[in-house]
Amino acid sequence: MLEGTLTYPAGHPCCSVLIAGPHPFLGGDMGNNVVSALSKALALRGAVTLRFNYGGVGASEGGPADWPKVMSKFWKDGTFDEEQDWVNDVGSALAGLRRWCDLSPVVLGYSFGCWTAVKNLRESNAKAIVLISPNPKQHEFEPLCQSQAPLLVIHSDNDFTCAAPEMMSWFESLREPKTRIQLSAGEHFFRGHELDVTATVLGFLQHHRLLGAEQHDNGH
Amino acid sequence: MTRGPIEVFLTGATGFLGHYLLAELLTHPHVRCRVLLRPPVSDSSVRLERLLADLGLNLSELIADGRVVPVEGVLPDSLKRSDVSGVDLVLHAAGNTTFHANGSNGLETTNIEGTRGLLSLAAEAKIRRFVFVSTAYVCGEQAGHLPESFFDRLPPVRNDYERSKWEAERLVRDWGERSGVATICRPSILFGDSRTGRASAMKGLYLVAKATEILARAMDDNRDTDRHEIALRILGCRDATCNVVPIDWAARQMTDIALNPATESSVHHVTNPDPPTHQEVKGWLEEYFDIAGGRFSDETWPLTDANHYEELFYALGNVCLDYFRNGLTFESRCAADLPPGRRLIDGASFARCMKYAQATNWCRTPLVEHDLPPQASRLDPAWYFESFLPEAVPCSVVAKVEALTAVVQYTITGPVGGSWVSRFDRGLLTETHAMPTALKPEFEYRLSYEDLVEVVSCRKPLQDVFFHGSAEMFGDVERALKMVPIIGEFLKEFPVAGGGDCAAGSRAGATC
Ligand SMILES: NC(=O)c1ccc[n+]([C@@H]2O[C@H](COP(=O)([O-])OP(=O)(O)OC[C@H]3O[C@@H](n4cnc5c(N)ncnc54)[C@H](OP(=O)(O)O)[C@@H]3O)[C@@H](O)[C@H]2O)c1
Repeated sequence: MLEGTLTYPAGHPCCSVLIAGPHPFLGGDMGNNVVSALSKALALRGAVTLRFNYGGVGASEGGPADWPKVMSKFWKDGTFDEEQDWVNDVGSALAGLRRWCDLSPVVLGYSFGCWTAVKNLRESNAKAIVLISPNPKQHEFEPLCQSQAPLLVIHSDNDFTCAAPEMMSWFESLREPKTRIQLSAGEHFFRGHELDVTATVLGFLQHHRLLGAEQHDNGH
Repeated sequence: MTRGPIEVFLTGATGFLGHYLLAELLTHPHVRCRVLLRPPVSDSSVRLERLLADLGLNLSELIADGRVVPVEGVLPDSLKRSDVSGVDLVLHAAGNTTFHANGSNGLETTNIEGTRGLLSLAAEAKIRRFVFVSTAYVCGEQAGHLPESFFDRLPPVRNDYERSKWEAERLVRDWGERSGVATICRPSILFGDSRTGRASAMKGLYLVAKATEILARAMDDNRDTDRHEIALRILGCRDATCNVVPIDWAARQMTDIALNPATESSVHHVTNPDPPTHQEVKGWLEEYFDIAGGRFSDETWPLTDANHYEELFYALGNVCLDYFRNGLTFESRCAADLPPGRRLIDGASFARCMKYAQATNWCRTPLVEHDLPPQASRLDPAWYFESFLPEAVPCSVVAKVEALTAVVQYTITGPVGGSWVSRFDRGLLTETHAMPTALKPEFEYRLSYEDLVEVVSCRKPLQDVFFHGSAEMFGDVERALKMVPIIGEFLKEFPVAGGGDCAAGSRAGATC
């Protein structure tokens, strides 16, 4: 059983969005600053959003059994076999989202979540794909070519996981239709720059007519 | 102004406006304040302590002197009559400022039911005066010159927020007819401090400013478009005004109104008599962010043919679009005292506010680290790093992470802080030294003393203080990040209470 937060508008939803967050071993949970900012901003614009905790995080069941051994492997190699379980978690979350909302989802991943999300592309029938701070040096993104959905890649010009030139040449290799936005702030974490990220995502989804025109937010 | 002692019950003290009101009230030596703080009161007091410290006040001292008395509670119904009994005046500034209700954001419960609850408590406790902070925009989409009076009928409101404020005003007015003297203050859009540019929250006009910054940043990355010729339609009226007021001025006006011994219920606009036009604000923003090209347009959002820059700008900037056209002026007695020719907000003060907003990452990080006394704890960081860690780490799960080899620096900021460096070798903590030391750290964690206490007592995960608090990582950030879950597991096994004792659950571990 996975723990998740479904956010939905008061009226009819205009689209549904699955948000896959960062690596659980790197502080990744559904309360992450980028994940929660996106979930809130999208819901305010009429989208149903689902964010969730991977197995072993928060109240989600599961997670690696032999923690010290897995941690040792992760410390050395930056990856371990059981990460596949977290890819499967995205599949379960997508199925859960579909039960709530029958619109084809926008699949959105941040950091490690880019990889877990893309690994589920084939089954997702995605309407659009958003990858924020993907790490093509660490992960394979070949399932991207199996979908024709518009793709947005957002990264910072100062990401310690993958430098901007490497990100650009990886992006060049991807199929169309695609958009790349490089933000001149935020490193990998976008702390304090969450609004830059959400504005870029909202702009992209708006451009593809996937968002409502409704305006909600804080004022005076 | 009255001179006898006055006991005020203030709500919303931890808010953008409320802490300025509290600071203003306390400039009057005869005023004592009971402040409503949401639970957990320890968290709310820390927030209030920091806000007041920015204004040069020390909450602990004010509490010790009896000038401020915290009262724990949540509107609408967790307060008791005894919480307010003996109070001369309620100043109700708590509120929810979200424009649209979504069933869970408390617009109804706080603004309407919260006001209703507080009014009935005030009536039970026979409090004579109730001052309510409403908004100038309770008038909705009316035009012309608005008098300082109640609206008997629901005005043509733009959103749920305005409606909730009108409903609350109506409750306050009815209370005034039955139970005491009701005063309604209607500030317009609150903006940064006129002296320092300081603001503690980013809302209203700040959202438009932030949208402009996003646009300017997009231009930094774009060599194809001239940043001074951006094709941006501004969906508003150039000559309409943007009624913004500096937070310090507004708080002073409302405090003066509140402390005035009124005998009759009344309404006061706390508004700018000479507000900037949208054209002026546009000019200030363009100058500050070094962009230009926007032109005013009669079109409405959503634009069917929006270009990339418009989509980027309105993704955030559209929040305030409903307010871009209003052609309103407000009757206002409190603005009458302003010297002729003196503007409450001009280009220079606007730029000061922008500078402050950017310096604090849009009100996210404090500009000044205050040396606040440690909250309810006396954890000694030197003891923690030099004695406790070497004793506890070998008994912990960290020792089983056989691949863990690293040299780590911890820096604790603040008056009781310092820097320590530890070497881990195949999971074992082999040495720890206070800086300076010959050990060369690969990465560093830096956090405030308050956050250290929260983290080691397991009240907050380390990643929380990194993503939402004071913590920073330097050096090899990837390895620093990888070590966070290892530290997290250790902290769960060996939490340390604020006073420097091992918490009950970890005693066995500590003596192993
Ligand atoms: N900001 C503006 O431009 C503006 C303009 C005109 C009028 N106003 C009015 O001024 C008032 C204050 O606004 P603000 O901008 O200072 O808002 P704010 O920064 O959001 O602060 C709201 C305050 O109300 C408290 N609060 C919220 N819900 C509560 C509840 N259910 N029980 C008890 N306390 C609660 C909050 O406590 P926590 O800190 O614990 O959340 C906080 O202290 C509001 O009534 C607003 O309508 C604001």
